[in-house]
Amino acid sequence: MVDLPKKKAGIVACSGEEIPEGTVSRMAALKVLHELRRGDTVTICLPLFLAGGEGDRAFASVNPTITIDGCSRRCAAIGTEKYSARPAVSVVVTDLMESEQLPRPLGRRRLDAAGERVANKVAQVVAELVDEVLGRPAPKESVRPADDHEHEAIVGSCSCGSGIPVLRLTLDGEEYELIAVPAIFDQLAAAGRVADRSVMAELMEQVKIYNSLTVGIEAGLSERLLDEFRLHLERRGKR
Amino acid sequence: MSGEERKVIVMPCSGIGKSYGAISREAAYEVVDELRPNTTRLVALSLLVLGDEERRAAVSRDPVIAIDGCPKLCAATMAEKSGAGRITRVSVLDVQKRHRELKPQGIAQLNEDGLRMARILAAEVAGIVDQEELKTRKGGDR
Repeated sequence: MVDLPKKKAGIVACSGEEIPEGTVSRMAALKVLHELRRGDTVTICLPLFLAGGEGDRAFASVNPTITIDGCSRRCAAIGTEKYSARPAVSVVVTDLMESEQLPRPLGRRRLDAAGERVANKVAQVVAELVDEVLGRPAPKESVRPADDHEHEAIVGSCSCGSGIPVLRLTLDGEEYELIAVPAIFDQLAAAGRVADRSVMAELMEQVKIYNSLTVGIEAGLSERLLDEFRLHLERRGKR
Repeated sequence: MSGEERKVIVMPCSGIGKSYGAISREAAYEVVDELRPNTTRLVALSLLVLGDEERRAAVSRDPVIAIDGCPKLCAATMAEKSGAGRITRVSVLDVQKRHRELKPQGIAQLNEDGLRMARILAAEVAGIVDQEELKTRKGGDR
C-alpha cells in the first residue's frame, strides 16, 4: 500500500427528512465535523453520493466511513456499502437511544431539548469512533483543532477534496481520474524500480486496489501507465 | 404514510456540505409544516432512492417538487430515477441570483439571510403546490 495524505474519516448522515431522528443524525454529523473532530473528518453528501457523485464515492472507497442513520432502515449505511465500500462503523440513532436510555426527540425541523441531548450523545459516540477508525488517541481537549496545513492546495488531488493525489489522463477518448497513482509512482521509484515491463504487473495491481477499472481497458491502460511512470521518473531525476 | 393519502410531495436535497442544502431543507419544512400542511408531505430522499416501495408508489402517482441546493440537482435527478412522473424542479441558486443582497451562512444553524432565503423559496414552492392542486382538480385526478 502507498502512503496517501493524512487519512480522514468520512461521516455520512442519512439526514432523513421525515423523522426527528433524521435531523438528529444530521446535527450530530455536523457537530463532529465542525467541532469535535475538525480536521480529522469530512462530510460526505449522501444525496450526491447516491446520485453518482464520483468524488465522494472515491473518497469512501479509500477512507474509513462512519454512517449515522436515524432509523433501522439504515439508508446511509446501505447506500454507502452499495455504492462504495462497507462503512467502518454504522451508528443507528434509535439503537443508541435505546441502549443509553435517551429521551425520544421531537421536532424534525428544530430539535427540542431532548433531541439536542440525543444529538450531542450521538456526536460524542461518533467522535470516539473517529479516533478508533483512524487509529489515533483521543485528543486531550474535547475539541480537536483543524490542522493548519490541511487546506494547502494539492495539485492533481481528487475532486472530492480529500487531498488524495490523482492522475488524470485520456485514453481512447475517455477521461479517467485514477486515485493514488502519483503516490504509487513515488513508492515504486523509492524502491528503485525502473520504467520497464518488469514493473507493469505490480503497477497495475497497486492501481487496481484504489480504482475500479472498466473491463477491457487494462491492456491499454497498463501501457499508458508505464509511459506515465517513465515521465514521472524523468521529472524526479530533474529535481 | 398512508397509501391512500394523496398530496403534493416536497423533496429537498438536504445537502450537508453547504448552506444552500440547509436552505432547501428549511424551505421544505416551511411549506409542509406551515404554508401548505394539508396538501403537501415530505418524502425522505435516501429512503426513496434505496427503493422504499411506498415512497416509490407515491412519487410515481403524485406531483413532486424537488428542491435542490446545487447544480448537481440530486433531488430532481433521483426523483426522476425513482419513477416520479410529474416533477417541478426548484433551485436555491435561482433564488440567490434574484436576491444577491442575501448572504446565507451556516449549515446546522442558518443565519438570518439564510432563513430569509428559505422563506422566499418556500413561498414560491407554495405557489407551485397551488398550481399542482389546480391541475389535479381540473384533471379530475383526485
